[in-house]
Order: sequence, then structure tokens, then C-alpha cells
Amino acid sequence: MLLVIDSATEACSVALLDEDRIVAERHEIVGRGHAERLIPMIAELTGGMKPDAIFVDCGPGSFTGIRVGLAAAQGLAIGWSVPVHGYSSLALIAAGNFAQGEADQLTVALHGGHGQLFVETYAREPFRVLEPLQSLFPAEAAAAPAHLVAGSGAETLVAARGHGEAVTAYPRAADARLLPTALRVLPPRPLYGRAPDAKPKM
Amino acid sequence: MSLILGIESSCDETAAALVTADRRILAHRVAGQESAHRPFGGVVPEIAARAHVEILPSLIEEVLAEANIPLGQVDAIAATAGPGLIGGVMVGLMTAKGLSLSANKPLVAVNHLEGHALSPMLTDPDLAFPYLLLLVSGGHCQLLFVEGVGRYRRLATTIDDAAGEAFDKSAKLLGLGFPGGPAVEKTAQEGDSRAVPLPRPLVGTAEPHFSFAGLKSAVLRARESGRYTVPDIAASFQKAVVDCLIDRTKRALMHAAGATALVVAGGVAANQAVRGALQQLAASHDLPFVAPPLWLCTDNAAMIAWAGALRFEAGLVDDLDVAARARWPLDPHAEKARGAGVKA
Repeated sequence: MLLVIDSATEACSVALLDEDRIVAERHEIVGRGHAERLIPMIAELTGGMKPDAIFVDCGPGSFTGIRVGLAAAQGLAIGWSVPVHGYSSLALIAAGNFAQGEADQLTVALHGGHGQLFVETYAREPFRVLEPLQSLFPAEAAAAPAHLVAGSGAETLVAARGHGEAVTAYPRAADARLLPTALRVLPPRPLYGRAPDAKPKM
Repeated sequence: MSLILGIESSCDETAAALVTADRRILAHRVAGQESAHRPFGGVVPEIAARAHVEILPSLIEEVLAEANIPLGQVDAIAATAGPGLIGGVMVGLMTAKGLSLSANKPLVAVNHLEGHALSPMLTDPDLAFPYLLLLVSGGHCQLLFVEGVGRYRRLATTIDDAAGEAFDKSAKLLGLGFPGGPAVEKTAQEGDSRAVPLPRPLVGTAEPHFSFAGLKSAVLRARESGRYTVPDIAASFQKAVVDCLIDRTKRALMHAAGATALVVAGGVAANQAVRGALQQLAASHDLPFVAPPLWLCTDNAAMIAWAGALRFEAGLVDDLDVAARARWPLDPHAEKARGAGVKA
């Protein structure tokens, strides 16, 4: 049994997977307050049962949200003595959206900081990154190649570009079953996608 | 005897500790982040939060391994839930919630200030309630009448900068680097504390509070005047801070009837000039002076585990939806102090 934890974006999402089957899931768009909701959601989901491994969204997304999920996962892993693995929020959204349509390519756009978007483009078959992660202003992100754009920033990107199809989407923990194995065993470390704002003074 | 795992991550120290309710410190680790923040001349909240989430899990495992205690033998998990830099507080609190759920142990959400306030009792079994506490650190400068676990009366707080903040900012103005406390103290040893006329804000006034912002500005003017050496400014600054702390503490002693001791805690309590002056003040009032060992004055997890132990034994445990709090006054009934810099 696998526990999936996703709090990197506006969604607070958890799932229990048995191989490729969804045993149970909780998916809420909370915006904020993940730190209060997350562990009670996991407690409801697991009901005292211990999973065999934990998968956690490492970002990019909200800096705080990434850490809330990772810290919870690390604490749970110590107590249960189980491994923790990471995956990318953008890969998860790509996998979830490929499963719902026919598109061969997909650009994922998530709202980042300072009006920028986290942008990454994926190919369906085989599932892989076509254009690597960048943090871009919408005008720069308009160069994204795929017709279909998914994510919290999809409409912003499509509006800036003037064409294409936007699907507003947030990472859904249960979609981790759709990720190729290699993309859900990343080291459990944050993928911030952007440096801190502070600049050295000396 | 209850055994508590404590976690601290509210500023720029990542820490974990195992402490029992009968005052045994089975293991404690503190990982500082000074080198990460030094290029910025002060603690950068986002950089601190990033470091906490990288360091904390291995620190917890090291503490459990060092004490050779499986998590299953721990009675409760205590973590700082505020006040402090919220990104860092969340890392410690979420890790603690994860541990609490998976190990099926109660969670104790500890106020960081309560950790400092009760820390003198961890190393001094003779210290009894009530006592007058000067809590003086980089984020806080308060006088608290400590009546019992969870029972605190705030007699004074700072209306602008904390004393430790004044040390850090003055050190920066004097080019002494970060963190400023030890640097100013060292440089002050070579200076004359009477050389530079500096103000003692609020000293002698009827209001009970502290103020250090004006002192920092006076340090800047002294530096820019070119008339004084850096050691003389450092020594005069340190003396001015000590005079402020002593005057305000003396005033608070008049409102602390029944106090069994004068106690100091927080990072600035590591300063020998501050300690020496407080010791004299206590002696002049026929009170014992209690100062925890230096490692327990700066941020650490042993004090969080200890406060957690006292709360756990009093039946004060928290639910898993408890929130991290950037601001969290120890005494919710304290009158609002004027000024914008009041952090708690």
C-alpha cells in the first residue's frame, strides 16, 4: 500500500494506492491552511494502517506548501520506518491530463511567484520532458509549443499566447499511479524552481 | 517518567532533543545556519526554512540513535508551534505531526517563549514558581512573571527592537559581522564604555517597557562622526544596553512580589556583561540569580522537549490540526504595548 501526499499547490490532496488501484483519496482545493488540514486528512485515510512507502510532491509550487508536504512525509517515514520518494508537481499534472485525452504534447503551467509561471512541456509516448522547467513571465511563457496547456496557470498562459486550449488543473495525489516509476522515485528534496528573493549584501 | 522528543525550528537553528520529565537530557543536537545567512547580514526567512527541511529529519534520527531509544519508547512529540519565522516553524511542526501520527504518540505544540521561560528549571531543580524572568534574545525582550506551567504575566516588552536585534544591527553598522552579539562583546573588551555618550531609551520612565531603536541610531551617528573608535562605540553600546536592561528589570521587581528568584534566559543571556549586572541586581534584592548554561540560553530543542514534558504531565496535549503561529503572546491578557515592533 502506497501513501501519496500532495500539498505543493492550492490543492491539499492525499491518496492510498494499491499498485495502480486507488484504494481511497481526499482531494480538496484549500488555497491555504494545508498545515492544519494535511495530517488529519492522512489520519482519516490510513485509519491506523501503515503504508509500505510514501510518495510526496516536491514541487514546484508554493515554497511553503512544498515544505509542509515534505516535512509531514519525513516525519511519517521515521515513525513508520518506510521509505519516502518524491515526484514533480508538473509531471503529475501532465500524467493526469494525458490520461484524460488524446493530446501527444502538453505544456503544464503553474502559478509561481512574482507573476511568473512554472512551465514545462511533456510528450505522451514515451512519457518524457520535451522542454525543461522554467520560471517565466506569461509573455515569455507564450513560446510554449503544446496546443494543450494544463495547470493553475493554464488560462494565463493561453491568454498571453492568444491560442490553444487551457485546462485548469491542480496536482491530484491519486494520479501518482499514472507516473512512470522513474518519475516517482526522485530524492525527497524540494524542487523550488526559483531561488529565494534575498540577494547577498556583501 | 515521561520521555519527550523536542523539535525547534523557529529561527536559524535546527534542533532536536530527547529529555525526560525528571530533567535528564538524553541527547540534544543543534545545527546552526550562520554560514548560510552571513552573506545577507542577517537571517533570511526563506533560506532558513529551506535549511530546516533539509536538516531536520536526519537530526531527529541522530538524536534517537545517540540515545539508543526507539521512537516507540517516547511518550510525546513536542515542537515549537510559534512565535517565529513561520516557514521554519511549519517545517518543525509538520515533521512533529507526522511523527505523532505514525508513532501514535501525543503532540505537544510548544510556545517558543515558554521553552525559554521554563528552561532555567531544566538545569536548576531548586528553582520554584513564581520567578521573575528577563527573556532577552534576537527576537524578544520581555519581563515575565512566571507563575506556573502555562501561567505567565507579561510585565514589560520592547516597543521596537529586541535587545539581541540591537546587538546584531549595531554590529552590522560597526562592520563586525553576523551574528552580532558575540562580535560586539569581544570588541567591547578593548574599548572604554564611557567614551561615547549614548542614550538609554525609556530608562527612569513610568512605563515598564524597553526600547532599543534609538540606541541603534545613535550608534550609527557615533560611527559616522568619525570621532570614536569601533571598540569604544561597542563598549559604550553594550553598557547602554546593560543599563536599560537593569533599570527595567529593577522596576519590574517592584511588581513581582513573591518572586523566588531573578532568572535570565534567551540568547543575550550569553553576554557576560549582561549576566554580571543582573547577578548584582539580584544580590541587591536578596534574590537568587539563575541563568541556564550558555547552550541552553540560545535556541535549542532541549528547552522545547522540557516545556513539552511539563505540559504533557499536566495533560496539555494538542490536536493534529493545530496551527503554526508567527505571533503568539505568552500572556494573552497583557496590555498592548505602543510601537510596531512587538513580536509577542
